[in-house]
Amino acid sequence: MNQVATAPFTNLALRLRETSEAAAVRTPFELLAEQANSLDEDQIFRLLGKLWVIKRLMYYVYGGWAQGLNVNEYPPSVDYLLSKQIYDDSTHEMLFMDEMLRRRCQPTQARVFAHEYGTFVQASRIGHIIFTLRALANYSHNLRITALNMGAKVIELTWLKRFGEAFTDPALKKLFAGLVAETESHIQMGRFVVERFVHSDVDIDLAERLTGIVRRDYLAVLDEIAAFVLRIETQQSDAIPEIPKGLD
Amino acid sequence: MANQPDVIAIKIDHEKCTECRMCYVVCREINFNAVVIDTSQEHLHEIDMDRCIYPGCTTCLMYCPADGSIVESESGRSLVPPPPEAWTEDKQLRRRAK
Repeated sequence: MNQVATAPFTNLALRLRETSEAAAVRTPFELLAEQANSLDEDQIFRLLGKLWVIKRLMYYVYGGWAQGLNVNEYPPSVDYLLSKQIYDDSTHEMLFMDEMLRRRCQPTQARVFAHEYGTFVQASRIGHIIFTLRALANYSHNLRITALNMGAKVIELTWLKRFGEAFTDPALKKLFAGLVAETESHIQMGRFVVERFVHSDVDIDLAERLTGIVRRDYLAVLDEIAAFVLRIETQQSDAIPEIPKGLD
Repeated sequence: MANQPDVIAIKIDHEKCTECRMCYVVCREINFNAVVIDTSQEHLHEIDMDRCIYPGCTTCLMYCPADGSIVESESGRSLVPPPPEAWTEDKQLRRRAK
């Protein structure tokens, strides 16, 4: 009998991954993949700009997480894997920026920062997931890595593969396909953490809940970005919610 | 380009480079953006000679911690940074004409 394959914590990791994969089968980014080769340069800039915003905000997320990672709390392998993930996401941020500059979307990085497509808007779904992830600093490291890597990263891997196939523009095809291996390694890191460090009933319950929250919020981000790239007007209510009696 | 020496093609020797990315960061800081990340799966960094103006700028060499990892493309000769006194705050760097 294969002891590893039947270990309960391997099953938990598989279950988390499979749930995220099921959610990733058809996301709003599928619309972008279907129209990948009819997107104009402004739409490509919109897409790269928003993906870059998420990646650069991960510095803020990981900064909070690393502050909460105590010396000798986990074995060096866990610290190493977090460092590697920070480095990889930094690489991805650089690649999105490189491509925007190469396509002459803007002449400099500073101009992208100032541009509407590259600005971080707190009151947005990107803002929401960034603050959600940052708030995971309140949980122990095993749980926040599980939530991100078995939730959002699994969905990210799916659309990266899809974009790598769908885009015929050689630079974009190579860009997206080139991110697949590192993103897969982050998911394997999530699996490793689940198998080794998510064992108590409380941790298992929290891991499932937090992964579900990150999965939900990440899908909402994809919806927002897809609508932004495709210039689909999203409906916003102008009505000001009433303050409940007793609180006014 | 007035008062600018001819551009010499340079590249990164990946046998010696530690991938610390200081060159990438400083080149971005001065808005030349000539160091780029290769989009292949390895994600090594490279020098885009459409943007680099070496020897008109030597910032990457000044910050590179791994001696000999930036070389002349043609000869493979390792390059060294200029002495610190050669670098001044008011030095004007000009981008290559597009």
